[in-house]
Amino acid sequence: MIAQNFEYSAPANLSEALKLLADGEAKALAGGMSLIPLMKLRLATPGQLVDIGRIAGLSYVRQDGDAIRIGATTTHYEVQSSGLLRASCPLLAETADHIGDIQVRNRGTIGGSVAHADPAADYPAALLALEARVVLVSAKAEREMPIADFFVDTFTTALEPGELIREVVVPVEDKSAGTSYRKVAQPASGFAIVGIAARVRQSGGPSGKMIAFARIGVTGLAGKPYRAINVEQALEGTAGSPADIQKAAALVADGIEANSDLHASDAYRKHLAKVYTMRALAVASSRTA
Amino acid sequence: MKISGSYTVPANRERTYQLLQDPAVLAKCMPGTDHLDRVAEDEYEMKMKMAIASIGGLFIGKIRLADQNPPESFRLLVEGTGKIGFLKGEGLLNLIGQPQSTEVMYEGDVQVGGTIASVGQRLLDTTSKMIIKKFFEKLAEAAIE
Repeated sequence: MIAQNFEYSAPANLSEALKLLADGEAKALAGGMSLIPLMKLRLATPGQLVDIGRIAGLSYVRQDGDAIRIGATTTHYEVQSSGLLRASCPLLAETADHIGDIQVRNRGTIGGSVAHADPAADYPAALLALEARVVLVSAKAEREMPIADFFVDTFTTALEPGELIREVVVPVEDKSAGTSYRKVAQPASGFAIVGIAARVRQSGGPSGKMIAFARIGVTGLAGKPYRAINVEQALEGTAGSPADIQKAAALVADGIEANSDLHASDAYRKHLAKVYTMRALAVASSRTA
Repeated sequence: MKISGSYTVPANRERTYQLLQDPAVLAKCMPGTDHLDRVAEDEYEMKMKMAIASIGGLFIGKIRLADQNPPESFRLLVEGTGKIGFLKGEGLLNLIGQPQSTEVMYEGDVQVGGTIASVGQRLLDTTSKMIIKKFFEKLAEAAIE
């Protein structure tokens, strides 16, 4: 199908884009990997599109002290192939490897994916495990918030009308940390039926190694991505043996109302979540130094 | 699609039942709905403006209350049609009194058709859960007002 008529503008800079978006009527277009298909099906019928994909200076990956700042229109391909991220925040680069297919990774952007807040998108699991922050801008103000506060519900974020994501901020990973993203992809769309991002740090004690730090992000399982804090707490302080990991991973879906659709029932999704949390933790642990 | 679940409303059973029968309260609790127009006894017409992700649209629909057994249970029938698809649903709501609140248990069946159903399968379950959650959150707000 062909999209309904709409006005299109491609501002050259951010302030012009924010002005066009200020009244909350226009829709921002980044890579278009979610919005354009919806428009072609006429499920989305925005009257005005503001293409932020051509704004210079909105696509970058750069280190800023102990943080790495990623511009909103940085593509998934740029994230997965960034030398800086591969070396200093490998979890995010590894997660980007798993997004869609090469065409989607070449066009789709980190800001677009995060703003769309698909409950089965890959990035949210990694960003939650990384305790990332997002910087939001509007014509009037700029604010920064933890990613956990940004994802409000299914397709619902803390973005106000007229607001854009300017950048995503992730920490420089500790050299001793081990990280991993493990996912069951839906074969047709590539979206996560369940996706688990894990970060682990060990400390050496007199009685051997111990898990000093664990972070788990979960996507695909519930209406919104979440951090499995109960798993983290169950694991921290243990030796991180396969039995410890299994015991902690068993908690990942506790108290969670799991999604259920024709691809996977809620019980199956919960089962997958436990298995993939085990796998993600096992791989992450094996990568610790 | 089968739906079921329960929510706790901070009001006693009589008051919760009464809130659920009040068109003004129902309109307030349904996302994107301003008001309900009464077309017959316990039957109302409504306009619902939905906006989830980039998907948006106006739905025109009807809502009907039936099999009322105050303050224990009633049946809720909803249907709506819009450019992007249609939905038809029916559910039984049971109210269980607790010391300080009321547990509302619902169980029903929803049929969704049109474009949204043929391409949006992956999203129907999560989205419908979110709408139901929003409804009960607003109802809880109305209960303590």
